[in-house]
Formats: sequence, C-alpha cells, structure tokens
Amino acid sequence: MKLRQDLVLRKVGDDYIMVDPSQGMVDLSKVHTLNETAAWLWEQLIDKEINVGSIADLLCERYEVSQEKAADDAEALIQEFEKAGLLEA
Amino acid sequence: MEANTALELTSHYYKIAGLQLELRFPSILNLSDILPSFVGFRVEQRNGTSAAVVTFQEAEVPSEEEWGTLRSDISLVWGDNFRFYEQEDAFVTLIKHTVKDKQWMMKSSKDFRASYIYGKADDPRMGEFVSWLLMVVFGQVGLQHRLILIHASVIAYQQKQGIAFLGKSGTGKSTHSRLWLQHIPDTELLNDDNPAVRLEDDGKVLIYGTPWSGKTPCYKNKSVELKGFVRLEQAPQNRFIWKKGVESLVTVLPSCTALRWNKDLFNAMTDTLSQLVGQVNVGYLECLPDSDAAKKSFRALFEEER
Repeated sequence: MKLRQDLVLRKVGDDYIMVDPSQGMVDLSKVHTLNETAAWLWEQLIDKEINVGSIADLLCERYEVSQEKAADDAEALIQEFEKAGLLEA
Repeated sequence: MEANTALELTSHYYKIAGLQLELRFPSILNLSDILPSFVGFRVEQRNGTSAAVVTFQEAEVPSEEEWGTLRSDISLVWGDNFRFYEQEDAFVTLIKHTVKDKQWMMKSSKDFRASYIYGKADDPRMGEFVSWLLMVVFGQVGLQHRLILIHASVIAYQQKQGIAFLGKSGTGKSTHSRLWLQHIPDTELLNDDNPAVRLEDDGKVLIYGTPWSGKTPCYKNKSVELKGFVRLEQAPQNRFIWKKGVESLVTVLPSCTALRWNKDLFNAMTDTLSQLVGQVNVGYLECLPDSDAAKKSFRALFEEER
C-alpha cells in the first residue's frame, strides 16, 4: 500500500491542502485538507510502503502516545486516506 | 489563390500579460482584420523567445482516427463547443461543427509552446475560432510563467487596484461590475470575461486585460495590482464574507483555467494559485443586482480593517 504520488501537499495560510484534479469529463477538482499531523505523516510516508505498524511507529516517535492508541489512530488514518481516494490503486 | 503564395507565412508578434505570442499565418491574410481584439496587443518586433508559437495551416482537418483519446467534451470554462483529445506527445483541441468541412482543429505540443491550427481561411467565423484557440494556448502556456487565465469580470479602481469578480456564467459578474461603474467613483472596466493574473518576479500580483473579454468588447492592454477576488452568488440579500486558507483557494479554483489531465500544467496552476491566495484578499458576496451590493463589496475591500 502506498500514497498517491501524483498529489502535491501544499500549505495555504494555516491549512495543508492537496488539489486532486478530477479525471472525469467535467472539470471539477477536489481539494483535500489535512491537519498538521496528517500533513507531517504524508511527508514522511510519500514513496514508502505503508501499513498500520509503520504509521504507528512514526506517531510514537513524535508524540507521547501509547502503542495501542497510535495503532488505532494509524488504522483510522489509513481508512480515511482510503475513503478519500488518496492511496495508490 | 496561388498555391505558392498560400504557403508563404508571416510572423506576427503580440505581447499579452508580458508574454510574447507569435502567430505564423499566410502572408496574404490581414491579421488585424481577422483578430481585431488583438490589435492593441501587437508588437512590431520580436523580442527574445516567444512563449508560444502558433502556425496556421490552411489544410483539411485530419480525420477522427488521428485525434487521440477524448478527454473532455464538457468544460465549465470553455463551454460546450470544444473537445479535447490527448495523444502520446500532443493535445488536440477541436471546435465541433456538424458539417465536417467547418470544423477547426488545433494540435499542440504537451506544453502548448508549439501549436498548429487547421481550418479554412474563407470560413466567416475564422477570427472567432482562432481567437478561442489562442485563448486555449495562452491559458496553458501562461501556467508555466506563473500566470493564470481566469474567468472573471474586472474593475480597476483609481487606475491602480483591481478587483476580480468570479462566478458561474449567469451569476451576474458583468452586472456587478456595471454597478461599480455606476456607483463607485474612479472605476473602470479592465476586462469582462478572461483576464490574466500573474505573480510577478518582484512578488507583486498583477491582473491584466487580454484580447478575450466574452461578449463585452473590452480589450485593454494594461494591468493593475490585484487587490482581491470576490466570488458572487445571487441571494435575496447582500452579505459579504471573507475567506481564508483552504477556503480562499476553493473559492478561486473553479474560475481558473487548466487542462487537468496534464499533471505538470495542473500542478503549475495549483502552485501559483496557492501563492496568490496567500497574498490577495478573497471574499464571497451573496448579492442582489443593486447599488447596495456594489457599495458593500467596495467597503469590504477598501474601507474595512482586517
């Protein structure tokens, strides 16, 4: 599992965003907003093989959280990314 | 028309929003007659490298099998006359017509720096079609120079600050501009449909008039500093709201021109836009078509402390 490499993370004001050009016939683009943690993780994880373990490890290194909590958050994040179509097909 | 004179081409140069556009057209054609809205942008001599070169080929439009993969037949910015196709090393823009003989086509390199237009010089709508195709070229080439062609009506205030009104077709962009002209002193219409916004080398954001202005003949070769973008929406009352961060980007994005299947061009557009909305005020105006609406947006932009 990998993050989509065609998306570019940008900071606009205080927000972290990615603009996803729709590939359909109509030119409506999607804009994804990431919070600071998700944006930081995105930068760490781009190009890498991702899974719950690797994301949880990163979270534990940066934040004061238990392994269990980090794993839950990592699991939730992957689901969010999946749902938003941010993972490589 | 003799075959040999038809083949002879003359180069014409135009400078639009600081970018040089070179048109190579048959010498027997009078470009000022064909493209009257471009006359004010003409430059007599070539000055360095042209950002884009467009050559007219008085030739049959190549057959359908040679167009490539259909990418879009509906476009919010371009309307429904256009079709875009993609090939391995080219983009094809087609202006549809039920009569095959009256179709116009343009084949462009993927960065739009080199294009060939195919059509008939005796077509009475030649000027209109060539102007549209040049708008496609300019919009895409501009992205590589931190310039975005936007869909907006623009007012210049005191000859030095510009406000771009955005909105879907029919929202009342032109109407709102006209209300400013009537009710706010020292205002001028800079462009009514397709201005260019450019992030300059010195960090300033300028908005330029162009040879494209929709139904209003307003082709001004001048620029002012861009003070703000205001998206309009029809409503039963007048209400002005500022937008920040991601919301400001989302407010302006639908009015920007970029062929989204070209990753490089699309990313260049989003890069420039992300910087623009960091520097330029972005607001949202729910409005009626009345003088109070114009006064409200004027006050928000020029009198409020934020």
